[in-house]
Amino acid sequence: MITEGTYPYAIGGVSSWCDAVIGGLEDIGWEILPIVAGAKRRQQHFELPPNARLLRPIELWSHGPAPRGVPGRRAHPNASIPAQLLRGLLPWHGDLDALTAALVQCRRFPDDVRRAFRTRDCWQAYLSALQDILELDDEDSAPAPAYDAIEAARLYQLLYWIARTAAVPTPRCSLLHVTAAGWATIPALVHKALEGTPMLLTEHGVYVREAYLASVRDTSASRGERHMSTRIALGLTRAAYATADAIAPVTEANAQWERGLGADPEKIRVIPNGIHPVGEPLAPPNAARVIALGRIDPLKDVQTMLLVADEVARRMPQARFEYWGPPTPGEELYAHACERMRLRLGLGERFRFMGRTSDPHGVIRSGDLVLMTSISEAMPMALLEAMAQGRPAVATSVGGVPGVLHGCGIVTAPGDVHRLASAVTTLLRNPGLAAQLGRRGYERLHQSYTLERCAEAYGTLIDQLTCGAPA
Amino acid sequence: MRSPKDEHAAGVVQARLGRAARDVIEATIVLEAWLGRPAQSAMLAARELVAGDGDPKPDRGRIDAPEDDEQQGVLVEGIALVLSILSVAAWATPLSRALGDGVLAEAIAVALPTSVALQWALRSRYLSRRSGLALLARDGLAFSAVAALACALPLALMPAWGPVAAMLVAIWVAGTVVTRRGWGLLYALMLVATSIALAQDGRPYLVLGLLTLVTLSVAIAAVLTRRSATDTRAGTLSRALVAGLLGGCIGVLLIGDPSLGWGVHGVHPAIALVPSVIGSFWGGYYLWNLYEAVPRGMSGVPLHRAGRAAMTDPAMMLFLGAILRLVGATVLLSGLLLLIGRWTHGTDDVSVLVAFGCMALVSLLVGLLESLGRGRAAVIACSAALAVELAWPRIVGAHVAGGALAAGAIVGIVLTVPPLLVLLSRSGRVLATTLWIQ
Repeated sequence: MITEGTYPYAIGGVSSWCDAVIGGLEDIGWEILPIVAGAKRRQQHFELPPNARLLRPIELWSHGPAPRGVPGRRAHPNASIPAQLLRGLLPWHGDLDALTAALVQCRRFPDDVRRAFRTRDCWQAYLSALQDILELDDEDSAPAPAYDAIEAARLYQLLYWIARTAAVPTPRCSLLHVTAAGWATIPALVHKALEGTPMLLTEHGVYVREAYLASVRDTSASRGERHMSTRIALGLTRAAYATADAIAPVTEANAQWERGLGADPEKIRVIPNGIHPVGEPLAPPNAARVIALGRIDPLKDVQTMLLVADEVARRMPQARFEYWGPPTPGEELYAHACERMRLRLGLGERFRFMGRTSDPHGVIRSGDLVLMTSISEAMPMALLEAMAQGRPAVATSVGGVPGVLHGCGIVTAPGDVHRLASAVTTLLRNPGLAAQLGRRGYERLHQSYTLERCAEAYGTLIDQLTCGAPA
Repeated sequence: MRSPKDEHAAGVVQARLGRAARDVIEATIVLEAWLGRPAQSAMLAARELVAGDGDPKPDRGRIDAPEDDEQQGVLVEGIALVLSILSVAAWATPLSRALGDGVLAEAIAVALPTSVALQWALRSRYLSRRSGLALLARDGLAFSAVAALACALPLALMPAWGPVAAMLVAIWVAGTVVTRRGWGLLYALMLVATSIALAQDGRPYLVLGLLTLVTLSVAIAAVLTRRSATDTRAGTLSRALVAGLLGGCIGVLLIGDPSLGWGVHGVHPAIALVPSVIGSFWGGYYLWNLYEAVPRGMSGVPLHRAGRAAMTDPAMMLFLGAILRLVGATVLLSGLLLLIGRWTHGTDDVSVLVAFGCMALVSLLVGLLESLGRGRAAVIACSAALAVELAWPRIVGAHVAGGALAAGAIVGIVLTVPPLLVLLSRSGRVLATTLWIQ
């Protein structure tokens, strides 16, 4: 299993899912290859189940030593590697064969990667290819922006790290399970090209969509930087879709994206997330307490939630909002902005940031309903946890949310403060309706979203892939 | 003609992005995230909303802010350096008197190259990196202790000159760490105090031993008080070994010319070293800006010019600026030294000053080549310089003071300048292939 910035070093939905699937499929021996940023001393947040072994992480952007090959096995540095990688990743429709050939070359001769990227020939060939690619036209895309020398050098550096990632050896295995269609694809793509091992791709969020959202949010980025970050993400995503033998999105909304981005519909099999059911739900406290669970992150649109709380407070002064979860690392400024907004709105005790919790079920049990105002989601665990506790949810219609909450919550357009506030007020004022929706959610969870179902679906799919049967 | 729904969608895209969407995916994302449209229908609508930026001029690529936190003021560091050299120069007379000329000369002949080798290796692996002292505190204490013991213990076991050499190595290497901490002035004051003590006390082993203990303690305190979390990695061992080898070569080059009379001619060679050391320090300090100045200079440069060679490129300008500073300061201060020659008793030999100037230049050039990852070229240049210096007295004779050193250094300069000119005249390439791919 190849992870990217998640399991076992980060807490979050994807990491929990990895842990649950590995633990749920205990007949399978797993080797975990994490891809992480930087060379920081990392804290392992998950204890691996006995059937899993952690491999040495691939560190991006670190000063650590480059991967080494068999002593004496060196080719003449291939001057075309950066240009080939560029042709595979930067155009709207990249050249997958060129990309695969270049990545395989990096794996075969890891000692040559750094040497090649430091040569004049490589740099010149890359510049020439870059100029050609930037002049390409595509009906789905506006003409590329002009790059400056810094952006060109930055992209070159990015390609170097892609080449280094490809150069890291991967152990022999029966199946490659890739958990994101980005960097995690690279080692798997090479391994498959060399060994023919089948590859399963699970997408929680759609990688390219998240890269675009990050680019939209990054207002200080230049046009060239936005272009390069989104195009490389698109290139990696398309390569992942083309290489994978099966694609398992967690929701139909993601499947729509994958088909739209060119994934073969035959390969796609939606496997929803699941959680362990936790007995019969307890009655809500009827304390007009609204719970939100998630990181403090622009994608969660916490500022809209604050406005919703403000509007609800005007209608129901006794209503209380609790936001459980820490800021996403790197989004501390956003968290401060949210806190300032909370103070400016004068919400006081009516809206509180509660910090991290290790007991999400207990937190949800202590509330009357769950609120989610995200602008991007795949299949949020917080909603499943709300359903497990028999609590109704009010959420925005993004990603897989409408599908999950069908008939057991209220869904509105993202950013629509008035409707969100009205939905919250309606449920707080009508405990009977809230209880009815909560009960439906509880039943729906048991029917469709248990961890056992999720693990069973993966077990079946993995069996099919490893036995050579069509997925 | 757009429908009202499409007009609304276009308005939302424009409002959210502050411009038209650049491609279908971007438009889809805005419609999905801020209008709540399902992906499939958003993708269909998105095709109508894509428009070009229409601006052929490049933006300026973002440059990372400089990150180093441990560099101190150049003036304080410079004063400390001069004080250190003068103080060590002042030790020569009392030490020669107490130990004998031969013993001190042998001690310096071993201690100087060993110290420079260790200093270069230490810089390459830890000190020249971001948060270098924190890195040393985290990863390097055991490594440094083993390296120091491996060098100093065998020296200490040698007869007569051995213990002195071992103490000098410990003092000079620990001094590098203390200076990196920003405590250069304290280090210089310790050396000045030692000069006074040596001049008044006839027990050089006791005085040097005390200084060794104090310098090592201060160095350990300098590292431990910088203990903090850092995600920087130490440089590779192979690179540190190459840097150490180069430092050793530079050290041998410095003492390899017998006409200079280290430890024999009292303070003279050390005083003559001052102008070139100050010039080298100034030039090197200026060159330290390479990692910031090159990206800054290349920001906004169009792509078609990123691969071209130009003598006015930022890397080349910085290189020439560093050379100019080194040469200018050395010539000026050497002239000053000649003017005050009658008070310094014999340091007015122009050839020695020229030799030290060349030495400073080759040291800067070799260091630059190594830091740009051209270790092999640097080793070749250094070895050739050393070979010429050692062969010079046998071929030409020792008629001119410092002649062998000057000849060796000039060979080193001749061998290092061409690869540097080729590399640094293409700033785009330097940035992409060297500075950003270490």
